[in-house]
Amino acid sequence: MTRGYDLVVVGGGTAGCVLAARASEDPARRVLLLEAGPDPRPIPDVVLDPKRQTELVLETDYVRMYDVERPDGSSFPLLSGRIMGGGSSVNNLVVVRPMRRDFDAWEAFGGPDWSYDALLPLMRSIETDEDFGDSPIHGATGPLVLHRGYKLEDPGDPPVEALIEAAHALGLPSCPDLNVPEPFGICASPYNQVGGKRQSTVVAYLDPARDRANLEIRADTTATRLVLDGARVRGVEIQTAAGGREVIDADEVVLSAGAYHTPQLLLLSGIGGPAALEPHGIPVRHRLDGVGENYQDHAVVYVTFEGTSDLREDYVIPKVRLIARSSDALDHPDLHVFMRPSIRMPGMPPLLPVSIHLLEQRSRGRVSLVSPDPADLPRVEPRLLEDPRDVEAMLDGIALVERLTRQAALARFYGDLVTPASRDEWREHVLTAYDTYHHAVGTARIGAADDPLAVVDPQLRVHGVDGLRIADASVLPVVPHANTNLAAILIAEVAAQELAGVPSAVS
Amino acid sequence: MKLDGTIAIEAPPRKVWELAINPLRLAGCVPGVQDLRQVDDRTFEGTVTASVGPIDGNFSFQSVVTEATFPDALVVQVQGSDSVTKSRLRMDVRASVAERGPAATDLAYHAVVSVQGRLAILGEMVLRATAGMMIAQVTRCLRSQLEPGVPAAAGSGDASDEPAISMPVPPPVE
Ligand SMILES: Cc1cc2nc3c(=O)[nH]c(=O)nc-3n(C[C@H](O)[C@H](O)[C@H](O)COP(=O)(O)OP(=O)(O)OC[C@H]3O[C@@H](n4cnc5c(N)ncnc54)[C@H](O)[C@@H]3O)c2cc1C
Repeated sequence: MTRGYDLVVVGGGTAGCVLAARASEDPARRVLLLEAGPDPRPIPDVVLDPKRQTELVLETDYVRMYDVERPDGSSFPLLSGRIMGGGSSVNNLVVVRPMRRDFDAWEAFGGPDWSYDALLPLMRSIETDEDFGDSPIHGATGPLVLHRGYKLEDPGDPPVEALIEAAHALGLPSCPDLNVPEPFGICASPYNQVGGKRQSTVVAYLDPARDRANLEIRADTTATRLVLDGARVRGVEIQTAAGGREVIDADEVVLSAGAYHTPQLLLLSGIGGPAALEPHGIPVRHRLDGVGENYQDHAVVYVTFEGTSDLREDYVIPKVRLIARSSDALDHPDLHVFMRPSIRMPGMPPLLPVSIHLLEQRSRGRVSLVSPDPADLPRVEPRLLEDPRDVEAMLDGIALVERLTRQAALARFYGDLVTPASRDEWREHVLTAYDTYHHAVGTARIGAADDPLAVVDPQLRVHGVDGLRIADASVLPVVPHANTNLAAILIAEVAAQELAGVPSAVS
Repeated sequence: MKLDGTIAIEAPPRKVWELAINPLRLAGCVPGVQDLRQVDDRTFEGTVTASVGPIDGNFSFQSVVTEATFPDALVVQVQGSDSVTKSRLRMDVRASVAERGPAATDLAYHAVVSVQGRLAILGEMVLRATAGMMIAQVTRCLRSQLEPGVPAAAGSGDASDEPAISMPVPPPVE
């Protein structure tokens, strides 16, 4: 046993960096942050420069890939960050709040502390919104900067203006602020960017806290299991960068290893359902059937048009997105739509992809162990688009995009739909070509003690295990109608308040 | 990724087959193929150039004809890697020709493409779209080469001299 800590945070990702920084604000609390990936100092330019995001994802070791299969046997990769800052260090920097209806859904599992009204003060305190900071629903002094490089009223490149015009022609309103409770229409996208550089949770939260005497940070260090003493956590077993194993003593442990690795660590520690543990010879130390269950994400389908002209505008960070309804019968938007940059090959006309992102998943997937070896990545079965209603929504999304591109303004740039080529190929295309928006959540979800799939209580304490909390995207009971980084930050802020004993706004 | 389809060509099956089994002629129909070299009876090597974002990539490949039995088994295995992410791509193609009428042929193909490495991240956005358009271009080119009176398809036959054009970074994910 090495010397102990009051709190060990496992995983220095989006949420873990926030929590380590917040928890160490109390100088009396000795905090250790463990991160499996590196903590490069200074932060490399490939991480900081949003223009190098493709290179960051395609060419560096800061990203893990998890191969998953579709029902037809084809595969696609899920991704997560493997560097201090986790997803916030490798993602596309967009900052989108969950919609009000997402909080309503979480409230059904977590009670009134998870309602929109209860969490609004915390959401405001997180952000410095450069454009809407003086609005009663936004913040102007928080650590996270929301920067819009483009506003709808700005003069834009012809294709962007054409997109806005086409959206208006379809009856989609302008939505200058997509972080209102019910966003809808053609929206300007806000990004975590300061001075043109990525503002990960390392930059926004951890760096200002690094010099604290009560905060220790160990990168290149993988937690391999929790050390349990009956129903109480006593510490964490780690694998060091040098390859040795060590046990760290802790009064309290918070898992922030993300929606893939938090359930993996619980299972490796014998916390889970017998069906998930017994095949690997892991004795059940504490039965919680919900560990690894309830996986949700957002499916994405790309459709491609033949370009009639070259779209040479700045798609590095898409300036605008559509937040749309797949069907007029819906009372809420369920799609994000992005126009993507052209792909060019000699001898071919330019190809113009459009991506359609379904913001709901009615089926539920699973994260499970491949083996009891902590070095093996967990198995992920996303089970996206298994529910026929999700498939229909995606098909309606393609129809919407086709209508959009036929509006006079956009038809200047967009020719025929080539992939999928004809209407009778749409369904097969959706079912065999979907991939992911990289918004995995739900694998250790919130719920009451009598809820058979609940893993944590509304205060984020693991049911039945003392000294153990979870603070990351895995606690969300339902995937929000939004990108998930801000939700992960919010969860960490909630956890920090719980650790500090701050009474909630409503209870 | 699986690609299935049938290309209808107004030419007799033998004529279509002869073009399909001749990599040097066929490659002239595939956009972006350069430096095609014959290694032996069954093996060819070459490169394909493409621009995805700022990445002007080369894809070097080797293709081996593992079976060529008229009319229903042309089996080709293509393996290669890209110059940027060093990902490996393998494509198993099976094609057959069937007579659809006097001087009319259906060329059926079934291809299974698998990518190992980071290129898979762009798989659905880039590879599938490119494959779809390539097939459309190959179809046009085959028709222009085999059907009487069909004008030459753009870029058909010879490697195009159109330069690879750089374009902005596509955010692969968000
Ligand atoms: C490529 C990509 C693009 C995205 N784009 C956006 C976007 O633009 N906007 C948005 O809102 N969301 C985006 N997301 C989603 C968002 O980034 C995630 O939802 C968010 O990062 C989740 O935060 P988290 O704290 O739950 O997990 P993570 O950020 O994944 O953090 C988990 C951390 O734990 C570490 N870890 C794992 N196992 C162990 C272990 N055993 N021991 C020690 N450390 C461990 C990991 O290395 C990682 O750093 C994107 C995600 C990806 C992958």
